[in-house]
Amino acid sequence: MVNTADDVNIHKDCEAKLDELENNWKRALADYKNLQRRVEEEKTAVVDFANFVLIARLLSVLDNLEMLKTHIDDVGLKLTVKEFEQILLDEGLTGLGVNVGDTFAHETMEAVDKDGDGDDVRVVEVVRKGYKLRDKVIRPARVLVKKG
Amino acid sequence: MPKIIGIDLGTTNSAMAVMEGGSYKVIPNLEGGNTTPSVVAVGVAELVGVPAKRQQVVNPRNTVFSIKRLMGRHFGDAEVSQLQKTMPYEIVEGKNGMACVKIEGKVYTPQEISAKILAKLKTDAEKFLGQAITEAVITVPAYFNDAQRTATKEAGQIAGLDVKRIINEPTAAALAYGLDKKKSEKIAVYDLGGGTFDVSILEIGDGVFEVKSTNGDTHLGGDDFDQRIIEWLIDEFKKEQGVDLSKDRQALQRLKDAAERAKQELSSTMETEISIPFITADASGPKHLNFKLTRAKLEQLVDDLIQKTIKPMENALKDAGLAKTDIVEVVMVGGMTRMPKVNEIVKAFFGKDPHKGINPDEVVAIGAGIQGGVLGGDVKDVLLLDVTPLTLGIETLGGVSTPLIKRNTTIPTSASQIFSTAADSQTSVEINVLQGERELAADNKSLGRFILDGMPPAPRGVPQVEVTFDLDANGILNVSAKDKASGKEQKITIQGGTGLSKDEIEKMVGDAQNHAADDKRKKEEIEARNAADNMCYTAEKSLRDAGDKVPADVKSEIEGKVKVLRDVLATASGDDLRSKTQDLSLALQKIGQAMYGQGGGQQPDSGDDKKDDKGGSDGPVEGEVVEDK
Repeated sequence: MVNTADDVNIHKDCEAKLDELENNWKRALADYKNLQRRVEEEKTAVVDFANFVLIARLLSVLDNLEMLKTHIDDVGLKLTVKEFEQILLDEGLTGLGVNVGDTFAHETMEAVDKDGDGDDVRVVEVVRKGYKLRDKVIRPARVLVKKG
Repeated sequence: MPKIIGIDLGTTNSAMAVMEGGSYKVIPNLEGGNTTPSVVAVGVAELVGVPAKRQQVVNPRNTVFSIKRLMGRHFGDAEVSQLQKTMPYEIVEGKNGMACVKIEGKVYTPQEISAKILAKLKTDAEKFLGQAITEAVITVPAYFNDAQRTATKEAGQIAGLDVKRIINEPTAAALAYGLDKKKSEKIAVYDLGGGTFDVSILEIGDGVFEVKSTNGDTHLGGDDFDQRIIEWLIDEFKKEQGVDLSKDRQALQRLKDAAERAKQELSSTMETEISIPFITADASGPKHLNFKLTRAKLEQLVDDLIQKTIKPMENALKDAGLAKTDIVEVVMVGGMTRMPKVNEIVKAFFGKDPHKGINPDEVVAIGAGIQGGVLGGDVKDVLLLDVTPLTLGIETLGGVSTPLIKRNTTIPTSASQIFSTAADSQTSVEINVLQGERELAADNKSLGRFILDGMPPAPRGVPQVEVTFDLDANGILNVSAKDKASGKEQKITIQGGTGLSKDEIEKMVGDAQNHAADDKRKKEEIEARNAADNMCYTAEKSLRDAGDKVPADVKSEIEGKVKVLRDVLATASGDDLRSKTQDLSLALQKIGQAMYGQGGGQQPDSGDDKKDDKGGSDGPVEGEVVEDK
């Protein structure tokens, strides 16, 4: 059989197409493998933090209940707040332990106002408690700071 | 294979995306957010994003935000003098008259600051994708001049990124919607973000975008909308409680959180309640804030802000030398475009529905990611894989539509399910192939039908007919039905079954949503009827099988109940049928009691389709193929 110029061209086209398809196929496979790995990772993360969003939303209720406790002296209320806190505690929620006098740390605190202008930045008031869920900060403490 | 990521380097927030498996994926940052605040803290500790934002108040002079406004600017520019007045950080003249920032005695170029944002995004992307990232596509506003574009490219280089291309933000948004496929068309992109408003007119021809004009307002965005709600809350509270919250920084912070949340909620609801308990206290005790805000009220509060976007749209059209009617597509970008009123205004202006569907906060990054994918060879074409726009299924007993391939399934795909017969000794079944979202077969579109015959006679529910749907990449649907006992098979090929126009598809999906409650009720009624019929059949069969082992009184009780049920089968309501079926089911258990000890096998089936007692892979599932008449 004699190879005409057309045959050669068709052959070349086919080879190019084959290369392209093989390349695409490999890419798709690689992407799929990566996706599988990530889905596994994400699944673990979802299990770990399934309640993260819900608990984050409940924190403002907790704030308000605690504030209510300081205004109303009622045993029933105190017991209710305690039960609520216990449930959150069981889920792994803990306070960040930010106190007045602490040095400002961006990892656990969000500053809303400051006084003074120096290098030593310390918390003068915690306006909203901060929490972490297991080892992840779910909400930083909101603090007022003084720079001295 | 190394990926080229797409980065939307924004004034207030940045985002990134990548092409993967033929589709885009927004890359979250290490904190888990899809967008990263474009905030950089320079100094002892260098922070980018959320952590930088948290300490902004503490170190206002070391915390740089909106650096994009300085990119490629000369110190003498009017915009720069304006920023000098409002920015808490120091803006100075750098080399070659460049506008730079000075922090703790050190001068940083805007490129260097932007590079810190890009470097964080790069690191987070590497962690997420599990591979080194060295190449990127970065977006800039369409009005950026050469100096600003060059500066953006340099920022990428400083961050260790080879910037393969700088593309315009509106172009990226159009790419995300696949508009590069259009032959020749004029597109408007409306971008209302956190702090800036841009409108661009693009012309597309053969996959190439040309920016015809841009206009906008560099100081109009979502923050202004929040501020209006905060002001309203302060006013209302003052009227009601006589306390001025505007001087109380802690209260303001809580008002800001609440305002932002209310604004977001009112995009999907008509009314929201803003409540902030213990917002302040006076001599009389604690005070609480509690107001209702309706969508209408919000629209009234921000009306002038929205109206302010109209003039730029008119100017952009004028500059492009076009009329409103020349614009064929409208694309929405930026979080504020989620607000229904904004959509309404844009729709009214151009007289057509804007493109929606892609998260407007991410759409630019997605377009950049797609461009990165094209450059990297990940995609020859933007849409490698298509999805089936409508559910495909078959008609089953009682005229119910049973789905095999759900809508939005990526194609090519195949699915198969085992069905059975509805009557004793039925030797043929008809397969009616349906397309649509409705629960009942009659409301969906029939794509074709065929008959599988020659099945050996058997009691109903015994034959196993395997129905297989195979939808190839071109949307061609092959449906086959195979009787497992005889091996007989029939098939049909449906060409272009999905070749419906976008409008038709939207209408079908919309109809399904509108009729959802009604359809569900009808379907439940049919299911109750099927279950009742099944129960009668089971009862009669059980009585036959058990013969005289069943006491006469039990037998007559069951027969009586079967008759009651059969008599009302066609007319009774679903609830009535369910209770009568339950009644019969209870009576049937007496057979079991009477035959106690004689082995199972004849345990009456509860007949309730909802129970997953026949969900095994071998058994017939999901009701029976509609009876062939």
